[in-house]
Amino acid sequence: MTRKRREALAAYAFLAPDALGLLTFVVIPMVLAFGVAFFKVDGFGNYQYTGLSNYKLMFGDDQLLASLKVTAVYVVTFVPIAFVVSFALAMLVRNHFKGIGWVRAAFFLPNVVSLVVVGLIWQFLLVDKRGALSKLLAPLGLGDVSFLGTPSLALGTYVVISVWFLMGYQMLVFLAGLKDVPRELEDAAAIDGASSWQRFRFVIWPLLRPTSFFVVVNSTIGAVTGLQAFDLVFVLTKGGPARATSTVVLYIYEQAFTFNNLGYAAALTTVVVAILVLCTGLMFGVTRGGRFDED
Amino acid sequence: MRIKFLPILAHVLAIIAVLPLLWIVISALKPAEDVFDFGWPSSWTLGNLQYVLLKIPMPRFMLNSAIVSITVTVVALFFHSMAAYALARLRFPGRGLIFSGIMSTLLVSLPVILVPLFLVAKQLGLLDSYAGLIVPSIFHAFGIFLLRQYYLNIPRELEEAADLDGCGYWRRYWSVILPLSRPALASLSVLFFLANWNAFLWPLTITRNPDLRVIQLGVSGMQGQYASAWNLILAAAVIAAIPTVVVFVAGQRRLVDAMKTTGLK
Amino acid sequence: MAATPSPARLRRRTVLGALAAAPLLSACDGSAGDGKELSFWNFYGPSDDQGPQSKWFVAMVDEWNKNNDVKVKLRYIPGKDYLNGTTLQTAFQSGQGPDIFLISPGDFLRYYNGNVLQDLGSALSAESKADYLPGLLEARSVDGKVYGLPMEIEPLAMYYSETAFEKAGLSEADLPKTWDQTLAVAEKLTGKDRYGVMFETLPGYYQNFTWYPFLWQGDGAPIKDGKVAFDSSAAVQALKFWQDTIQHKVAPRKALGDGGGDVVSNLGSGAAAMQQSGIWAVADLRAKAKNFKYGVIPHPMPDGGRPATDLGGWAFVANSKGKNPEAAAKFIAWALGSTDAAGIERQRQWNTVVKTNVPPRKSVQAAADAKGAFDDGALKKFVSEIAPTGKPEPRFPPEVYQPIADAIQACQLNATDPAKAAADAAGRIDTFLKTYQGAPIS
Repeated sequence: MTRKRREALAAYAFLAPDALGLLTFVVIPMVLAFGVAFFKVDGFGNYQYTGLSNYKLMFGDDQLLASLKVTAVYVVTFVPIAFVVSFALAMLVRNHFKGIGWVRAAFFLPNVVSLVVVGLIWQFLLVDKRGALSKLLAPLGLGDVSFLGTPSLALGTYVVISVWFLMGYQMLVFLAGLKDVPRELEDAAAIDGASSWQRFRFVIWPLLRPTSFFVVVNSTIGAVTGLQAFDLVFVLTKGGPARATSTVVLYIYEQAFTFNNLGYAAALTTVVVAILVLCTGLMFGVTRGGRFDED
Repeated sequence: MRIKFLPILAHVLAIIAVLPLLWIVISALKPAEDVFDFGWPSSWTLGNLQYVLLKIPMPRFMLNSAIVSITVTVVALFFHSMAAYALARLRFPGRGLIFSGIMSTLLVSLPVILVPLFLVAKQLGLLDSYAGLIVPSIFHAFGIFLLRQYYLNIPRELEEAADLDGCGYWRRYWSVILPLSRPALASLSVLFFLANWNAFLWPLTITRNPDLRVIQLGVSGMQGQYASAWNLILAAAVIAAIPTVVVFVAGQRRLVDAMKTTGLK
Repeated sequence: MAATPSPARLRRRTVLGALAAAPLLSACDGSAGDGKELSFWNFYGPSDDQGPQSKWFVAMVDEWNKNNDVKVKLRYIPGKDYLNGTTLQTAFQSGQGPDIFLISPGDFLRYYNGNVLQDLGSALSAESKADYLPGLLEARSVDGKVYGLPMEIEPLAMYYSETAFEKAGLSEADLPKTWDQTLAVAEKLTGKDRYGVMFETLPGYYQNFTWYPFLWQGDGAPIKDGKVAFDSSAAVQALKFWQDTIQHKVAPRKALGDGGGDVVSNLGSGAAAMQQSGIWAVADLRAKAKNFKYGVIPHPMPDGGRPATDLGGWAFVANSKGKNPEAAAKFIAWALGSTDAAGIERQRQWNTVVKTNVPPRKSVQAAADAKGAFDDGALKKFVSEIAPTGKPEPRFPPEVYQPIADAIQACQLNATDPAKAAADAAGRIDTFLKTYQGAPIS
């Protein structure tokens, strides 16, 4: 056996467990989703081939439209806010100062807690009239605002809680990226009389572009289909009030498990993934920043 | 002047960030009737924590979660490091294709494939078992990606020295690469443990045997059974969060370092 | 109907081949295929807290197992997981449903149309059938065949806190009889820490269940004679009433604890002064808020309306695709329908001692009366005044439930025009009815 062949065989052997696992538990479910989408599944083991009817169903489905809107609004608010907040935090804790360890840990700490517990915590803090936040806001005359019970506020509340939960993680990613910005370059710019804004705009920002790209793609995927789109809503509002926080993922789950429409849920799944692939593809294309492979 | 101002701001913001968590811990130590009192509690009690630990199978839930999280973490790190080693340091036909294939699975998250994944798990006989909790949670491209980045940075000479001694690929991986990747593995183990300890959706879907309930299901179930007892629910939440905070504090430095060294950007 | 579609076969081969080692740890539960052990899924026992209701279930099953070859094994699922619908669903989807389980009226048709409900008729004696109050078995029957035995009747009513009324300077004379009075009184009762009145706000089957009485008071119904009838003045005014309670800021947008059914967390904690809830709350308050002083009144009515309430209640059903459906049916008939002294006593215990319900059977009611269970207080009011005005909870399939739920949510919490919401919901129900082919919806 040649060395080349031996190396290739070894490589396949090393890859086998993960490759098979991903195939079984990610790729096959994906393919299945495409398959089941063409069936009417009643939840009692009966399948009936119905062609494209699950897809046709989507066009008259107002709830789906509403869920897509909820997810869209969530994405366009959560992603930029989380980006700015976590970037600002990273800049804030970039340079050493006394107690920096605790400060960094504090920002990350919410991310350590499970979303189930996060949901519980905020439900408790946001209880109508008697919750800590209501008590805090009472002097301002806002004591009986229902943050989770008012449709116009619930989604915003959900965004804020998501940012609080994820800012520490994204901050760490930014910190890692900032480490690649050579100090000398910045110092040189400072000596040349560049203001701090100019240093940021012309030295730091260009070098951070790959990191920023990673953060945006990552948080977009998370916002559309990630656990924050399900676990958090599930414990916080169950999609209410008046469907104001019914994300697409929650809607799919509802269709599959509350209404037993597995076929329809599968069809929806394929559409969501298609949208996601399109969005990330677009981001790759526009930014030309998506270079996972650097060698 | 600003140099003095920014650290103070950072400290203030940090306090604000943890305030909700702190408030929960304090509330869990209040007697039931004071739980909504806004002020400092007039008396403290460990009764809530005691009740949750003794009257509810909380220890059982935690044991289940520990079994699942630790097994997944260990097996996943092993598999991922093997795959990452091949992708980073071996040459073979189809490497680029396999790598982008693996990376593209990052687009697919659990809620989206929940239904078909459930069907696959059913076909494999994984319903309602530890295996069902563990096996599907092992495989995730994120770890492969990070480890591969890390391995790309290991100097080739180190490995080649081993080669001269006539080592096969397995020996190279086992006695050179694996020991060298200890810091990366340690930090990833923190991330993996946290993710699995905190898992909710998959355990909810795959198990129904009460003996298999993991901690997050236990806490979530508390809300139904003890709806009116916020003091108990919060106590359960605090207990569920303690292991994660401990693991995080213990592994915190590694986490920040690893994010840098693995070149995550 | 392709019972074994090709994707299923395909996936079995590839997947099993790929990961042959995986099933080695799979559960051994439910493997007894000889039909000698039946699984009974429920949300009462044996529970973590081992309360009286859990004990009743355990004792009942022990009693059966002592005298029968085919044993029954209880499996407890916390109420939240059971009611959310995922646990049972996943089990049935995988062909591993329980042999015996509890079902609510809202779920009845889905399971019936899925062909998994066993006809209990042959196991049930004529004497036992005649013992049930009129209408109860009919609500769980299709074409004269009984598919579920009700374990209880749970009427809804308004609870009020005597303390809250006293604090607001109100007396029993101020208890509201009309919707307008409810709003006016609730306004007086609303304070810094308290809402005057409370209805369920969380979307779900339960919310619909609690709203139907207000629809019925104006002689409305979602479906009449197989045709949609939701776009009616009765529906509009009922939607508007709930909306008004929120718009006037006298009702909470989000309840405490487990929501509208949880009287201890809301009325009991002082967060609400009046709360709509079911008869079960009497037992809850007895157990968890002994010293709390409260009363019960019928639902307030619209002008020109008639009294109405919704009679909830879960039933035991058997899985027709289970291991031994005949034995499961026998067990159910024995557990709930026995007409001997022990059977009646078991029912009396469930309906008046460990839980508070209106008994579904005449003989049980008589036994409970003999013990004075309904002699005074809230329970007397429930049995003598409120329950007689009730109708069994309708058995709407998800496709009818959902449009109504959306209408209620939109009006109550999102200030949507009730007329528009009712028309929208009616349109969706109509679309569904045009293609529906299952058992009659009532």
